[in-house]
Amino acid sequence: MNVALRIARRELRGGLKGFRVFLACLALGVSAIAAVGSVRTSIEEGLAREGAVILGGDAEMSFTYRFASDDERAFMDSVAAAVSETVDFRSMVVVDRDPVERGLTQVRGVDAAWPLYGNVGLNPPMPIDAALETRALPGAVMAPILMDRLALQVGDTFRLGTQDFELRAALIDEPDGAAGGFGLGPRTVVTLDGLASSGLLEPGTLFESQYRMALPVGADLTAVQVEALAFEATGARWRDSRNGAPGIAEFVDRIGAFLVLVGLAGLAVGGVGVSSAVRAYLDGKVPTIATLKTIGATGRTIFAAYFTQIGALTVLGSSLGLILGASAPIAFGPLIEAQLPVPVAIGVYARPLAEAALYGVLTALVFALWPLARTERIRAAALFRETGTRARNWPRWPYLLVIVGLLLALVGAAIAFSGIPMLALATAGGMLGALVLLALAAWAIRGAAKRLASLAKGRTALRTALGAVGGPGSEAGSVVLSLGLGLAVLAAVGQIDTNLRNAIQRDLPDVAPSYFFVDIQPDQLQSFLDRMNGDTQVSRVETAPMLRGILTQINGIRAADVAGDHWVIQGDRGVTYMAGPPPAEEIVAGTWWPDDYAGPPLVAFAAEEAGEIGIGIGDRITVNVLGRDIEAEIAALREVSFENAGIGFILTMNASALAGAPHTHIATVYAEPEAEAQILRDVAQDAPNITAIRVRDALDQVAEALRSIASATSYAALATLITGFVVLIGAAAAGERGRVFEAAILKTLGASRGTILRSFALRASLLGGAAGLVAIATGAVAGWAVMTFVMDTTYRFEPISAIAIVVGGVLATLVAGLAFAWRPLSERPARVLRARE
Amino acid sequence: MDSNAGRVDILHGISLEIAKGESVALTGPSGSGKSSLLMLMGGLDRASAGSVKALGRNLGDLGEDELARFRRDHMGVVFQSFHLIPTMTALENVATPLELAGHSDAFDRAEAELKEVGLGHRVGHYPSQMSGGEQQRVALARAVAPKPDMLLADEPTGNLDGVTGTQIMDLLMDLQARNGATLILVTHSNDLAARCDREVRLRDGRLDEALAEAAE
Repeated sequence: MNVALRIARRELRGGLKGFRVFLACLALGVSAIAAVGSVRTSIEEGLAREGAVILGGDAEMSFTYRFASDDERAFMDSVAAAVSETVDFRSMVVVDRDPVERGLTQVRGVDAAWPLYGNVGLNPPMPIDAALETRALPGAVMAPILMDRLALQVGDTFRLGTQDFELRAALIDEPDGAAGGFGLGPRTVVTLDGLASSGLLEPGTLFESQYRMALPVGADLTAVQVEALAFEATGARWRDSRNGAPGIAEFVDRIGAFLVLVGLAGLAVGGVGVSSAVRAYLDGKVPTIATLKTIGATGRTIFAAYFTQIGALTVLGSSLGLILGASAPIAFGPLIEAQLPVPVAIGVYARPLAEAALYGVLTALVFALWPLARTERIRAAALFRETGTRARNWPRWPYLLVIVGLLLALVGAAIAFSGIPMLALATAGGMLGALVLLALAAWAIRGAAKRLASLAKGRTALRTALGAVGGPGSEAGSVVLSLGLGLAVLAAVGQIDTNLRNAIQRDLPDVAPSYFFVDIQPDQLQSFLDRMNGDTQVSRVETAPMLRGILTQINGIRAADVAGDHWVIQGDRGVTYMAGPPPAEEIVAGTWWPDDYAGPPLVAFAAEEAGEIGIGIGDRITVNVLGRDIEAEIAALREVSFENAGIGFILTMNASALAGAPHTHIATVYAEPEAEAQILRDVAQDAPNITAIRVRDALDQVAEALRSIASATSYAALATLITGFVVLIGAAAAGERGRVFEAAILKTLGASRGTILRSFALRASLLGGAAGLVAIATGAVAGWAVMTFVMDTTYRFEPISAIAIVVGGVLATLVAGLAFAWRPLSERPARVLRARE
Repeated sequence: MDSNAGRVDILHGISLEIAKGESVALTGPSGSGKSSLLMLMGGLDRASAGSVKALGRNLGDLGEDELARFRRDHMGVVFQSFHLIPTMTALENVATPLELAGHSDAFDRAEAELKEVGLGHRVGHYPSQMSGGEQQRVALARAVAPKPDMLLADEPTGNLDGVTGTQIMDLLMDLQARNGATLILVTHSNDLAARCDREVRLRDGRLDEALAEAAE
């Protein structure tokens, strides 16, 4: 066996006592990443496995605003063994009692074939056909949350539009419920026949029709998709079981990747612990290393011996982390499944574990190599000299190169695995920046403490505290770095979270309308406007004709080939028309058409989005509205604001271009809060088909979604903080021997235990407070960057969460520091001092 | 005495009285209990039986913090391994007992004391930046700075070479003489013992009666 290996083996025989923090840091960091990755893969696997059930068929064609044409239906019948037709739209459930109750719902009208796959879960249990069949009234099932909200019981009657329904059961499980993404209202399911006389599917109403196909066994999905592509031009959209819930899949992917990045921050904190553990271990090994050198070991042999030890420990720590990380999702499987609206295939997956292991090994190497490389520089003379035994110089340049290379590999891996390169790069940059900032802060704190120590004359506790922070062997570096990085992640999450919530809950409603009304039929518009304009508590009403269309071509080329995956061409967009021009300041470029313009279709495009897609004045776009292609020339670019939750259209056409297309109007109403209820009652009375969306409810739902993302992030950040605390405990434990000695001398000189305890508490608070302050600065910068560049809104410093961070930092170091204060305070000076003689 | 390993009998039947201003050398072979006796005298450890009185106070009656304050006001201790606080400069080390005693001029007096021991040029240095002899001079300055009534020294030259040891000893005797403090010195050296007013020999934790009688 190689000499270095033999030395390594003998050294490790002594046990792992000095490496508890090393192993804990590595295992914690790796387990957090492995767990997040495993859950993410479990969800993706679940989505892929159950794709057909989630989608409700092997494939789906869907249409906006209309049902399939005869040609389209004929095509589907020709390729599929079975076809199920459903329709999906928003409406109001009305319960006739005193006072009349109303609730927003997402209605689904189904045919007898629904669902093609999976089973509908109802309470009381019954077949879905029986629940929906028409007896005295057509039947309906409804999400329990809406039943609760409206105090509806099974057997009660409610109304959709002008049709009464009998509630037969609560809808517990809708097999293809997740495919559509997140709806604004809870679900109500009725039959298509039952909807026929509701007045809710009149021409122009906003609805989507979906046709799920069960393909014959062995059918070639790709071939069918190619055939279906012929109908794309008339507005048909295709989805199939290979990606049954693209919205959710993408969401899970993004959130998962983001949480892995937060986990990486935890691993970086662990790296600080790894580094100080290795440093402390090697400091203790100086006499051994010097002796080895004395008897002829080369620097290379010594490096190899200790590298082998650290390598073995890295494998051990990472393996522990992988076991923990892989078993956590299995242990919490039922809990995770209950929280998610999609099937989850919990299991052990190789890819996320390999990813976590790679991160762990790279991090351990990056942080351990620096102190390891310095062993080469320890001289044999260190044995014979009391002082200067600590190797405090830089490693040789080849080691530095390797460290930089490993760091780049770590960042590269994060970019490659996350699939969100910009965010990964920003996170890596942010963490690196935070580490540098914290290192600088630690350096500055040491300098300041050293200087202040001479000013704190007469205050022994404070001066000894400052001396310990600023003097040789200070814990400032490891404490500020480990705690600071953990707190910085938490501070950033806190700043972003609070800013977002405030933007939604406080800032937005001041300028946002009270209600959106949709599906106002043209013949209802005048009486609607009369009602609003006659109300002194209504400050503003805006209406606009509303159609929905799909941008299919740009200058005769398939839109996706020009605009890539820009959101404007993803799915259908609202289209409106105007005769006269909008206020002049809204027109950014081009000229608006005259009021009486009746020539070839013209369109005004939203300026910002046009710029992003790369189109401008004179370009021609094709928009499919209700299966009919309208080709229009871009005559003007218009400034459109989406920030105030008012009406904003990407596409505005001249009136005659859309003449004849059945359409409805939408309206926004700005009213005093106390007038809102009466407005809703009056509109529902006059025009039951009109759907009212309370803006505050919609915003609450967005805020709720953000809240769950924020809490998921907080959990990931918590792992970072726990790692930071482990590092802190490690630093406190490592410093205990020094403090026992210091306390013994101070007692000999006449210091009371109170003075000594105060000194310990002061140094912990100083370091904790400093780490907290740097964390706030870092968190504020991160918060500002995210709000400014990602959310495109203004950032405001949030002091409450910031103060909590500083207090938390002080408390954490106090707890860690004082946990190790008992021995220094209780030991008799003679014992301690004589042991050192 | 009580220890982590249980009760150990180190000192037996010792009855010793030291007069104010007297200098006494505690001598004896290794393990005879000289340092233990010194630690008991300094209140740095507690005897399991018997009593230690200093300046009229029974040290056994005092709590940990009262002992600390008693040392602060009346004692200076010098160790073989210097025992300076590594995170403090020479000046700060010497000033600390003065500060604990509430002297507003702690740093001025500490600086004067360092000059006195010939370290006026090293006030800003940390212990790790000084030689053994220099560190012991700082420790000496620290012990005498508060003008203690008693000076306890545990083999103060044990870790130093002959020349440096002699210098330190000269300094110690000189400082004791000038302050009129009682000096209790643990040493292996007959020469050093001879420089004291009296020598007390210990053997196996007991006073060496033969020597004691000879002295009388």
